Amino acid sequence: MFTHTPLRLTTLATLAIGALAYAFVAGFFGLEILAEIAILAILVIALDLVAGFGGMLSLCHGALLGVGAYAFTVAAKDAGLSAFPAMVLAVALSAALAFVIGAVCARSIGIYFIMATLAFGQMAYSFVFQSPLFGGDDGLSGAPRPDLTAIGIDLTDSRAFAIYAIALVALTYLVAASTLRSGLGRSLVGLHHNEKRLRALGLTVWRAKATAFAISGALAGLAGCLAAQHTQYISPGLLSWTVSGEALVVVILGGLGTLAGPIVGAILFVVLKHEISAITPYWHAIVGLILIAVVMSRANGVFGYVEARMAARAAKPTLEKAKADA
Amino acid sequence: MLETRALNKSFGAIHVTKGVSLRLEKGERRVILGPNGAGKTTLFNQLVGELTPNSGSIHLDGADITALRVADRARLGLSRSYQKNTLFDGLTIGENLGLSAAVALGKGQGLWRDPLQSAEVRETVKEVAAQVDLAPLLAMPVNAVSYGIRRQLEVGIALSTRPKFILMDEPTSGVGPEMSKGFHRLLKALPRDLTVLIIEHDMDLAFDVADTITVLNYGEVVFDGLPGAARDSQLLKDIYLGAWEDA
Ligand SMILES: Nc1ncnc2c1ncn2[C@@H]1O[C@H](COP(=O)(O)OP(=O)(O)OP(=O)(O)O)[C@@H](O)[C@H]1O
Ligand SMILES: [Mg+2]
Repeated sequence: MFTHTPLRLTTLATLAIGALAYAFVAGFFGLEILAEIAILAILVIALDLVAGFGGMLSLCHGALLGVGAYAFTVAAKDAGLSAFPAMVLAVALSAALAFVIGAVCARSIGIYFIMATLAFGQMAYSFVFQSPLFGGDDGLSGAPRPDLTAIGIDLTDSRAFAIYAIALVALTYLVAASTLRSGLGRSLVGLHHNEKRLRALGLTVWRAKATAFAISGALAGLAGCLAAQHTQYISPGLLSWTVSGEALVVVILGGLGTLAGPIVGAILFVVLKHEISAITPYWHAIVGLILIAVVMSRANGVFGYVEARMAARAAKPTLEKAKADA
Repeated sequence: MLETRALNKSFGAIHVTKGVSLRLEKGERRVILGPNGAGKTTLFNQLVGELTPNSGSIHLDGADITALRVADRARLGLSRSYQKNTLFDGLTIGENLGLSAAVALGKGQGLWRDPLQSAEVRETVKEVAAQVDLAPLLAMPVNAVSYGIRRQLEVGIALSTRPKFILMDEPTSGVGPEMSKGFHRLLKALPRDLTVLIIEHDMDLAFDVADTITVLNYGEVVFDGLPGAARDSQLLKDIYLGAWEDA
């Protein structure tokens, strides 16, 4: 079950303070990286909610992000909505799509679930790619940033935008954490451990899965809005399954089912990407090696490793080990 | 009242449930006996909806539930425990009971409150933990406790839905005689209006808790009656002697 251990709270507080402090001192390039981390962090928190806690390994979160980005851009640019209503609409659309995907895929588990989400993601990708509405391969440009000049904030400034992005990460975290502490979140963790038993206890399993997936999809859609606002240019590549795959890599790198871990993973991933790609064009290979090392170490990612070490230090007495159930 | 009418179930060529008609009155404690492979678990699976019978019907308090799904039947107050432990590994004993109670109370899809902190759930956890003797172990992770404890939790989860009907599939399988006796004391202390159907291998223990006994053999009901009559039944002796010899 999800809990806020002292280690997690400390980590979150440190990250929040560190990110804000950095946002005040960083130059343009640093602020761009901060925004990039924030977008990825939102996506991987969303993914960890269903994958880490619910065991629903999704390969369509890139598509959900992309749908959010496109919906936001179209609503704000073509339909003339102002940025916040357009964001609400985009988030709602990603959530609705995720609900349908979750409901349809609820019956499949393991590899079949992964494949089904992949298929949905590819459908969304090719739809956006083919449809004349969305500029095809060329993508769309001109997504606006929210206008906060009324309260004295200019989001066209990269420092203000980075802080705004950090605030959205915090919002995302709060939504994910409160979902996990709700009845639905408790059921989600239970489903991961024993779906059959929860059904026998009276849970309508498909609805729990679909609702959790919808919340996760909404957050992925939010990441999409932020991505569109950040670069103010979007292309079908956002919906690509490789984006989903990368998100999964980041969640695993950080620590599945820890919520704080994937944020750490997002920071590591983006920073490594920039540091290593400055040295060699083969940065994907290096990140791959690091991922292999993490997986081979049998730790639950970087954050999971730290958690396990702390737990081992505060080892509790345990009763006689459970034998295999007859 | 829990009733089956002429239930039949086959797996391919094997006919595992043959025209089983049973009727349990409210508050009745029935033990199902029968050798390995007699179709006892298969009968349970049909009662709760995990398997669909080929023919026949199942009724709960007069309503035909044959077409209802597992979760819908559970919400009508039907609960079961499994022959093979079916727990939430990785959670604590308290979380296992709390999650089960929360879901049974309809809080399993809520978005706002933590059901584990709700008074209703905590109360249920406390009561069930006392019933199955797990009160001091609520904070223990399930995968760090002994098989016997896990076996108790298996029944605890089924009880935490506060069912009207409980089906227990060999609740004492694999635990020692001492624990088994304790378990039967616990069964006797269950509320008298709870309808209980237990699959049990051990005849002496069965006679200890049963109001009535049903014997299944090769998927058929071969005996249905009072424990006294079962004890004297030659048929039962033959079946069980056969089973012992096979073993
Ligand atoms: N899903 C299934 N598919 C095929 N055959 C099955 C299936 N489930 C049970 N059987 C077969 O049906 C028969 C009855 O099995 P069941 O588990 O109901 O027996 P049981 O009375 O519970 O036995 P035990 O005392 O060993 O638990 C067995 O021959 C078993 O192999
Ligand atoms: Mg059985």
